[in-house]
Amino acid sequence: MHRSTRSQGRLAATAGISILALSLSACGGGSNDQGEGEGTSDEPITLTVATFNDFGYTEELLAQYTEEHPNVTVEQTVAARSEDARTNLTTKLAAGGAGLADVEAIEIDWMPELSQYPDLFEDLADPEVEGRWVDWKVEQGTANGKLIGYGTDIGPEAICYRQDLFEEAGLPSEPAEVAELLGGEDATWDDYFAAGEEFVKGSDAAWYDVGTSIYQGMVNQVEAAYENTDGTPIPLADNSQVQDLFETVTAQNEAGLSAGLEQWSDDWNAGFQKDAFATMLCPAWMTGPIESNSGGIDGWNIADVFPGGGGNWGGSFLTVPASGENVEAAKELAKWLTAPEQQTTAFENAGTFPSQIEAQESDTVQSFTNEFMNGAPVGEIFTNRAANIEVNPYKGPNYFSIHTTVQDAILRVEVAKSDEPDASWEKALSAYDELGL
Amino acid sequence: MAALTTTESETGSAPPAARPPRKVGFSQKLSRWDVKVSPYLYISPFFILFGLTGLFPLAYTAVVSVYDWNLLGGQGDFVGLQNYVDVLNQPTFWKSLVNTFSIFLLSAVPQVIIAITLAALLDQNLRNATFWRMGVLVPYVVAPIAVSLIFGRLFADQFGLINGFLGVLGLDPVGWHSDRFASHIAIASMVNYRWTGYNTLIFLAAMQAVPRDLYEAATIDGAGRVRQFFSVTVPQIRATIIFVVITASIGGLQIFDEVKLYDVYGQGGSDRQWMTTVLFLYETAWGNQRDLGRAAAVAWMLFLIILVIGFINFKFSTRIASSGPKAPKVSRAVTRRLLAEARSAGAESAARRGDQQSTTTTDTTDRSDS
Amino acid sequence: MSSVAAAAQGAGKGAAKAAARRRVRRQKHHGESAVRRPGWITYAVLGIALVISAFPLYYTLLLGSSDQVTISQEVLPQLLPDASIFERFADVMGNSQVNFWLALANSVIISVTISVATVLTSTLAGFSFAKLRYPGRNALLVFVIATMAVPTQLGVIPMYILMSEIGWVGKIQAVIVPALVSAFGVFWMTQYLDSALPFELIEAARVDGASMFRTFWSIALPAARPAAAMLGLFIFVMQWTMFFWPSIILGSQNPTLPIAVQNLTAGYHDDYSLIMAGVFLVTLPLLIIFAVIGRQLVAGIMQGAVKG
Repeated sequence: MHRSTRSQGRLAATAGISILALSLSACGGGSNDQGEGEGTSDEPITLTVATFNDFGYTEELLAQYTEEHPNVTVEQTVAARSEDARTNLTTKLAAGGAGLADVEAIEIDWMPELSQYPDLFEDLADPEVEGRWVDWKVEQGTANGKLIGYGTDIGPEAICYRQDLFEEAGLPSEPAEVAELLGGEDATWDDYFAAGEEFVKGSDAAWYDVGTSIYQGMVNQVEAAYENTDGTPIPLADNSQVQDLFETVTAQNEAGLSAGLEQWSDDWNAGFQKDAFATMLCPAWMTGPIESNSGGIDGWNIADVFPGGGGNWGGSFLTVPASGENVEAAKELAKWLTAPEQQTTAFENAGTFPSQIEAQESDTVQSFTNEFMNGAPVGEIFTNRAANIEVNPYKGPNYFSIHTTVQDAILRVEVAKSDEPDASWEKALSAYDELGL
Repeated sequence: MAALTTTESETGSAPPAARPPRKVGFSQKLSRWDVKVSPYLYISPFFILFGLTGLFPLAYTAVVSVYDWNLLGGQGDFVGLQNYVDVLNQPTFWKSLVNTFSIFLLSAVPQVIIAITLAALLDQNLRNATFWRMGVLVPYVVAPIAVSLIFGRLFADQFGLINGFLGVLGLDPVGWHSDRFASHIAIASMVNYRWTGYNTLIFLAAMQAVPRDLYEAATIDGAGRVRQFFSVTVPQIRATIIFVVITASIGGLQIFDEVKLYDVYGQGGSDRQWMTTVLFLYETAWGNQRDLGRAAAVAWMLFLIILVIGFINFKFSTRIASSGPKAPKVSRAVTRRLLAEARSAGAESAARRGDQQSTTTTDTTDRSDS
Repeated sequence: MSSVAAAAQGAGKGAAKAAARRRVRRQKHHGESAVRRPGWITYAVLGIALVISAFPLYYTLLLGSSDQVTISQEVLPQLLPDASIFERFADVMGNSQVNFWLALANSVIISVTISVATVLTSTLAGFSFAKLRYPGRNALLVFVIATMAVPTQLGVIPMYILMSEIGWVGKIQAVIVPALVSAFGVFWMTQYLDSALPFELIEAARVDGASMFRTFWSIALPAARPAAAMLGLFIFVMQWTMFFWPSIILGSQNPTLPIAVQNLTAGYHDDYSLIMAGVFLVTLPLLIIFAVIGRQLVAGIMQGAVKG
């Protein structure tokens, strides 16, 4: 963690500035002792793990590692929000890696940018972990053929719904019936929207919270939405696939299916209490926010179904920054933390749904139910949902820049209500041009 | 510019032989050295530390701004002024500038006016004065997270308290996030909430230092409260008005927290309707673009813009608070007593000169652009 | 008595100061009985301002004594805080995610050191800029003010590089040292001393043969006391609530209080009640300082009226 002070002479006031600035390419600046073989030595060391939100790594769990490796003490730093963690990680990488933890947790959303610089991270490939995760999770954690992240949790999606509102609207409300209503095993988005039109006829509530989340669910089922698999961007003006999705989503809004509540906003938070919408695309971790916003509401349940095949939203990895001093020992630790047993414990602690096949199949996970969601068998449902995921969408370096322009276009139509769909799409095109790709 | 001393002439560099020296020898040299060096010595801590913590980042930013420089990838090719050109060609940059000025005007102007009014009210013979005076400073200590939580509930578009209240009155809801101008008002009100009390206290401190006999004199002359405020208070707290206007300008053009926390994405809205230039800078560096080179270019342009605006406001506020009736700045009696006790005859003349100087020095700030 | 001593005494030291303040109060009661008390309109306006000012803090307290379910249901969960807030305080202090006592110690050390140092360096520089004449003075002052215009966000990366070069990452001196001086403070003190410190006093001291530093110490510093108290308070609050730079350079291993409060949000279950209790707990010391220093501060400002 604390590097010894090096080359202070370089900081000779301002004369050193340009030299310093010039010598700070990303590979410079980090410390260069690679800590060869430290993973096996018995020297006492302290390893740091940086996580965010709640990975379920309790003191007890980390102490267990020390029991198994008496020379290693593990310290965890937790950032409250993933955004803070992201700023923190990128700033430290930009500054050459000082102050990074030995093991850094990252979110799947950061992969597109980080995977452009695989050299910043250790190669974690290891025969021991072959077959540990669902295939697409390993693909996600791989950059340029190099495994840089061990999977922790995933966000397989189901549909969360308000059974009380369904009943009022005269629709079937039992989870199995709802799954059938939405199209069952081979549900399509059209099935989902058709059910929505049925629903809004008999209810004051909208069908879902906002078009951007629907769009996100759709785009995650597209093989290569914004960029070709060689990383070159597809000009948005020529991207008929994305334009179709945009038009579909905004058309549903015309039909009154969307509540127009931007996710995570105050309006959205309040919308739960105001019965503003009846269904949500629901990755495993979403049950948490639903619960904390729905005090006093007991109608939520989960249907084991998802339109258009399976879908994944979110999930994280553990990486080992290459600039660390104890990379071998850090790899050991990351390997241990992402082993099925530990991930199962983490799931019990924090509800982070395992990406490890063995963990998903464990009794602990399989028998897990969610009290608040009317006892829905979440372990079983999300394991099933994870198995249904066929597409691992390609997300290149410019994925988020382009994705943001389309998301904004939807928000303008649905939330701000400042533009008609056509005009908003035009704005998206000019925003795309501004990216200068 | 003359060094203020009793033994030196106005130029401060006349040879000692030109005057009959009062004392000769080492102590005098030491004293002259003391006079020459001390001023620089006293400002040196600031400049030394600033060199490390202010100048270095500024220079570093200048270097980065002429390279193709990705946040993670590090330094790329030398591109000259291309980053500046790129930024200037982005409509969003210009939009952010307009937003910045709009939010700045909506916050700084009411803030200064309300602050000076409140300060004038507090500068009276109040019961429990301490309680009232410290009360206005409370917003300054409230954590931003609490402020954004509360204002978020107030200004939510569909289920917010303000729109709910408007609905009760039978009025249309306001699009606090969707409407550009409304979002500026909402953000400005958060900024004003946080800084008005703080500026009030600064004004109050200055007002308290205004000699009370000036007011008595004004009252005898038949000036009312308002008239007193404009012809006594304002000229007397001139330096403070300049201070507040300049710091509010510099701060107002760098508003960040309130803007970033105004919605969940922190990108200034779906149409960038409330994206300010500082947020634009942050997004360019840490957001999707990760383009440190462009962000550095934005930083430098913003720096220059703030300097220009700060300077304009300085001129403006100097004019507003231009010297009113000249009045002694302190209770004269005490000073006189002190001077009477001064032993040397030279002291009297020196004091006279000091007096003259004190009447002229108030204008030196006007010339600080030299 | 030398004028220096007289001035020093006039500016108040210990008993003299107390006497001066008593004198001021007496004057206020007798002399100012002529000055009429302000009418009810003044109190009404100030009352409204106070309610608006204090409401968010009060609301924080309400949310802190409520629970997540109620908070998500009701905009105003209750009208009065109750004793459960103390349980939440205990939760915050004992929270495993948060090293509360270390954070408190760090925050105190950082804020106190920085405020004291800033007040000293600013007063020194302010005295020099406001009252001494020398070549380059105006240009340097303009430069100081210009430094406030540097956008801070981008300074983070070079500063981080600097700190990692000298091995200060994760250490509190990385937060303290850069903040020992403040352009804001220098400007503030310059403007205050410019109007509050008469040249006659400095002259008198110089005539008396006092060195520059002696003059500063016994004339300028006492005259600057009210402004210094306010500056100290402002800087203290600013450092106490600062988040971005400490969170990057210190991280949650060696946190300050705002970082600790941030870390109360565990996972996707935002326990607002706990966060708000934490926020209030962190704000509490500042309120206590207000209550204690407030009198001093206002009295100090009043002293300004009879400076000398």
